[in-house]
Amino acid sequence: MRIPVQINESSAEPLYHQIETQLRSLIVTGQVAEGTLLPSIREFAADLKCSVITIRRVYQDLENEGLLRTRQGTGTFVTKVDTDDREAYKKQIVQDAVRELIDTARSVGYTGDELRSLLDETLREENRK
Amino acid sequence: MDNAVLEWRNVVKKRDRMVLGPLDLKLYEHYITALIGRNGSGKSTLMKLAVQLVRPDEGEVIWFGRPYPGGLPADVRAEIAYVPENFAAEENGIKMDDAADFRASWYPRWDWQRYEELLRRFDVPGGKKLNKLSKGQRRKFEIAAALATRPKLLLLDEPSSGLDPFAWKTMMDEIRRCVDEDGATVLMSTHIVEEVRRMADYLVLVDKGKSLGMLEKDALLERGREIWISRDDELLEELPGIVESSIESEGMVRFVTLDYAGTAALLDEVGVKPIRVRALELDEVMEHWMNGGLSPV
Repeated sequence: MRIPVQINESSAEPLYHQIETQLRSLIVTGQVAEGTLLPSIREFAADLKCSVITIRRVYQDLENEGLLRTRQGTGTFVTKVDTDDREAYKKQIVQDAVRELIDTARSVGYTGDELRSLLDETLREENRK
Repeated sequence: MDNAVLEWRNVVKKRDRMVLGPLDLKLYEHYITALIGRNGSGKSTLMKLAVQLVRPDEGEVIWFGRPYPGGLPADVRAEIAYVPENFAAEENGIKMDDAADFRASWYPRWDWQRYEELLRRFDVPGGKKLNKLSKGQRRKFEIAAALATRPKLLLLDEPSSGLDPFAWKTMMDEIRRCVDEDGATVLMSTHIVEEVRRMADYLVLVDKGKSLGMLEKDALLERGREIWISRDDELLEELPGIVESSIESEGMVRFVTLDYAGTAALLDEVGVKPIRVRALELDEVMEHWMNGGLSPV
């Protein structure tokens, strides 16, 4: 299978980290389902134009987190993700995005109150759509 | 790292216009290594040493852990497939399939099915004499014949030159398959950046007969960044790995670093947030490497 991971070439974030974050998110959100056989390390590397060393590291890390399991001779599979992990993960993605938002707001001199009222206003606008 | 399949140990070879070495290099099992460098830098000589088409003046070459100064035994030679840059004229009048027959007799793992499948995928007409093939067709035949031997060590000297884009893609897929399924180790010289991007795990750069070392491709790519920050001359002085910098406007400076990890750590420490960060392209980093801006880790 082809995994929909998109590398951002101009990102400052290390390659393995980009791949790992996206693959983890695909697994935890269930978009890549339990039991899925992932591509071989060489296939995935070719697909993303990176080295097998990077993919091996990603698979290894996610295996250590319990998200993947490698069976000798068959390949690497997605394991079961429990509901608590899934909720915690969702929260974490949003929290990261909020931190990013706070950074941007601070860099142009917004206060917390200003940011909060802008956020409320935008939420109201979005809800009206 | 793991097992070295091939090793050049302190090798020196004097050629007409240049001296290769002293050079130390190891190829590790199950990896694809791209050999890069300018024309005439010694890449082809390095490969010829690996099949004993030339012998070193000094030092030694080690195959699968052993040197064979008395000549490679047939069973070791049969583990190695080599596609040269220029093809020997001696097979010229021979028909393609007869040439394949001859090779099949030397390689115990020769796989006719794969040979025929590859020729079909490459769209090479059968039955022709080797010297009646176009340059690209001849290369396709040689690549097919090399892969049909199911080698443990695959040496390719600029394999893509003269290939059409479809054959090029097939070739890359098949080399990968050779590594994945047969556990081959690959060394390929190339001038094509896209090929390095798509294929290589490691890069070896040779320049004027000397090796500038071996680097993992992604680690190399992690190192080069072009960064814009608010102008701070003092800070710029302290940043590591800077190979280029210019003041872009009154309040903004742009620089290129080959030590992004160190640079990012320092910027973070002093609380400077870059305006923009761009990863260097592979060819840009390779150029800096060639110009001595990068030392292997």
